[in-house]
Amino acid sequence: MFDRAKFWRYTRYTVLTVALLAAFFTLYLDFRVRSEFEGRRFALPARIYARPLELHAGLRIAQIDVVRELQEAGYSQGPREGDPGWFANDNDWLEVAIRPFVFWDGLQPAKRVRVAFDSGVVKAVQDAEGRELPLARLEPLAIGGIYPANNEDRVLVRLSEVPKPMVQALIANEDRNFYSHHGFDLRGIARAALTFLRLKGLQGGSTLTQQLVKNFFLTPERTLSRKVTELFMAVLLEMHYDKDEILETYLNEIYLGQDRDRAIHGVGLAALFYFGKTVEHLTLAESALLVGMVKGPTFYDPFRNPERALERRNLVLRETKDRGYATMEEYSKARAADLGVNQKAAMGTSPHPAFLDLVHRQLRRDYDETDLRSEGLRVFTTLAPRVQQAAERALERKIAQFDRGKIFGEPGLEGAVVVTDTQSGEVQALVGGRDVRFRGFNRALDAARPVGSLLKPAIYLTALADPAHYTLVTPIDDGPFVWKSRGAPDWEPTNYDKAFHGAVPLRMALAHSYNAATARLGTDIGVEKVLITIKRLGIERPLNPFASTLLGAADLAPLEVAQMYQTIASGGFRTPLRAIREVTTQDGRPLKRYALAVEQAFAPEPMYLITAAMQGVVREGTAQSLKNWVPPETAVAGKTGTTTEQRDAWFAGFTGDRLGIVWIGYDDNRAARLTGAGAALPVWGEMMAALAPEPLALPKPDGIENVLIDPESGLRADFACSGAVELPFALGSAPAESAPCASALGIAVEGMKQQAKSWMQRLFGR
Amino acid sequence: MRTLLAFLAVALAGCATVMQPPGSYPAPGPFPEPAPLPEPAARTENLAIAGLLDGARVDAAAGRLANAAASLERALRIEPRNPRLWQELARVRLKQGDYAQAESTAARSNSWAGSDNALRAENWRLIAHAREARGDAEGAKGALEAAERQR
Repeated sequence: MFDRAKFWRYTRYTVLTVALLAAFFTLYLDFRVRSEFEGRRFALPARIYARPLELHAGLRIAQIDVVRELQEAGYSQGPREGDPGWFANDNDWLEVAIRPFVFWDGLQPAKRVRVAFDSGVVKAVQDAEGRELPLARLEPLAIGGIYPANNEDRVLVRLSEVPKPMVQALIANEDRNFYSHHGFDLRGIARAALTFLRLKGLQGGSTLTQQLVKNFFLTPERTLSRKVTELFMAVLLEMHYDKDEILETYLNEIYLGQDRDRAIHGVGLAALFYFGKTVEHLTLAESALLVGMVKGPTFYDPFRNPERALERRNLVLRETKDRGYATMEEYSKARAADLGVNQKAAMGTSPHPAFLDLVHRQLRRDYDETDLRSEGLRVFTTLAPRVQQAAERALERKIAQFDRGKIFGEPGLEGAVVVTDTQSGEVQALVGGRDVRFRGFNRALDAARPVGSLLKPAIYLTALADPAHYTLVTPIDDGPFVWKSRGAPDWEPTNYDKAFHGAVPLRMALAHSYNAATARLGTDIGVEKVLITIKRLGIERPLNPFASTLLGAADLAPLEVAQMYQTIASGGFRTPLRAIREVTTQDGRPLKRYALAVEQAFAPEPMYLITAAMQGVVREGTAQSLKNWVPPETAVAGKTGTTTEQRDAWFAGFTGDRLGIVWIGYDDNRAARLTGAGAALPVWGEMMAALAPEPLALPKPDGIENVLIDPESGLRADFACSGAVELPFALGSAPAESAPCASALGIAVEGMKQQAKSWMQRLFGR
Repeated sequence: MRTLLAFLAVALAGCATVMQPPGSYPAPGPFPEPAPLPEPAARTENLAIAGLLDGARVDAAAGRLANAAASLERALRIEPRNPRLWQELARVRLKQGDYAQAESTAARSNSWAGSDNALRAENWRLIAHAREARGDAEGAKGALEAAERQR
């Protein structure tokens, strides 16, 4: 039996329920649209910059290196009127139109500079009118970012900055009725529906608003229900916001390509990424290329598929002209232009992940991880691109060579490099492994490995700080040595050449890295005392107070070793290693400066003496082979390190301007059969040779005198002694006795010279 | 008589250098001929330093101490061995109230000061200021004495 009343009642209930549900759903969507769109701020990655290149007369740099850096910053060759971001050069001159850039100390507006070079040196810097400039600061290279979880990268732009032809091309091609529809376009939907009914799947027909909703709020799956939700939300969005707001958000949101693991979003970043210019300088042709890529940034990738991209661009151009947004003349001109994209090496989230890792860790001490990944902070670092490149190349090349010679199977040899500025402690380069682009285990920071002989300078420094007992010529016994301590097995260090050398002058014991002599010296002074020196040199990790620590039974990461040698390289001033100079907000407001800090940890005299002894290591000791890369005049101070069974090869050394630490070994601690001098030193040498190092010349402290010494006897020499060497001594610590070779006449002359000197001083008051 | 002796000694000393047998010394010693210190900055290079130094002084006078320090650090990257720049930085640190840094930065300046006694004396006076500000009267006195000795 059919109950009419009941039927209508049920129908009413059903309709009511559906209407109610629909209302709730709409309300819910409305809430989402408003709250999310309103509160929506694009997560902007922290942007990391290398140090800016500062050009001034007298700077040692070849034109080619400046050009390379400009190219990497996306500068193109050949003048371009009214639009910075280019350079032009001939043999002697380089002209650069520097883009405007907001530095830590404010905006540096766009400017033109002319730079003269002469054999690897900057001769003059001028402005466009030929007036001399004291200093020209180039735009720093962007070397990566700290990205939101999805690695989305973007540079926000305002609608007013986007050139009109770009907006017009976009509207002509993606959503002709954008300015008149209410979030959806019936004709578009009809078209989409038709293809759907023909069982050809769901496709386009979306308005810009719908596309934005899709990217913003929804998952990428293509179902009918999702399509309906998208439609609802688009309409709601249009109700709450005006067209310009929607368009601006769209232009910043749109996905326009991939740079390795980094996703290129928005026209602001795309303009920089593809054309090396800011968005307001894009031409019609360039705008059309980007608009064309909206449909499929991978399919129309102008780097990978230039022909396809060109075809697509021209289609966009024709559509733009046909809709009346471009004249025939503009159209033909744009059509004739080539793609104009700047081909450069893929960078991904960073080309130098190991250095970025260091920066990230230093930032984490002061900033929230979420802020780093979303606030668009700008971080100015100390990375010197040229040094980084030299370090990467040397490590890659040498490791490939060693691997070829030593077949120890997989995984292959590994290595790490740290380079710092000797005076400021700024980290100029950091390499964390043989695959320099690999983001992963960062050996420069995290591979704590036995350092072997690298701790020896600390022992000799401790000795030389006590000039009453130790000088560079004090004989040290390199006979067999046994160290007994209760509860531990006897310690009997042997030398690398398996021989003992009897009494050797202190400086020679270091130069040849004699273990027995060093162990004897270290235990004579006292392990505790040496450990205090190591700590004062900047090693914070506690080391075991065992005698074996003296010979490097201590695990340190390359960066820690760098900190220790930094103190020696800067003459006893401990300078914390820094990778960051400044941090600003997204719009350039300074947040924090990481200032240069120095702390005098040692008197200048012992530092001068240990540096002299370390120069001996390179000149006549274990690091002699360095002369194959760096001329002897550079007077490098260094130390090799090789550990038991040659598992680790180290070289630490410094010139006048740079300190470098190199480690080579296997991750799984296999015996590498490579020595510090054989494996780590060549990397160091090749890297430094590429950087034209400054000679090392420490200023002689007041408390140091140079005395001529006969190396045979270790006593005072004069001109009659052949092979005599001039050595530095703390005042009053040089041997008083004369060597047998010193002639009576010579001694008399020396004495008279001294007397004459003091008379002259009295006579002339100085 | 004295003068005569002195003359004789000098003459002999001169002989000594001449008499030096070839190849005897200086043989390579741990410090061979100390490599020449970088030449005194060329005029134009001074221009870069001078510009930054002027800027730093203006900033320091106006109390923009962080900017002053930044300019000086920029200058130090160009001429890291210029003791005047280190001294100026020490002065800024003193104004910033960072007395420990003021003292060690002045000491850094001293390490590059060579024979410039006036500069050293000024560094010691800066150190004295810094120590006094930290309440180390004894140390300040010592520093002032050191300043006096630089004549």
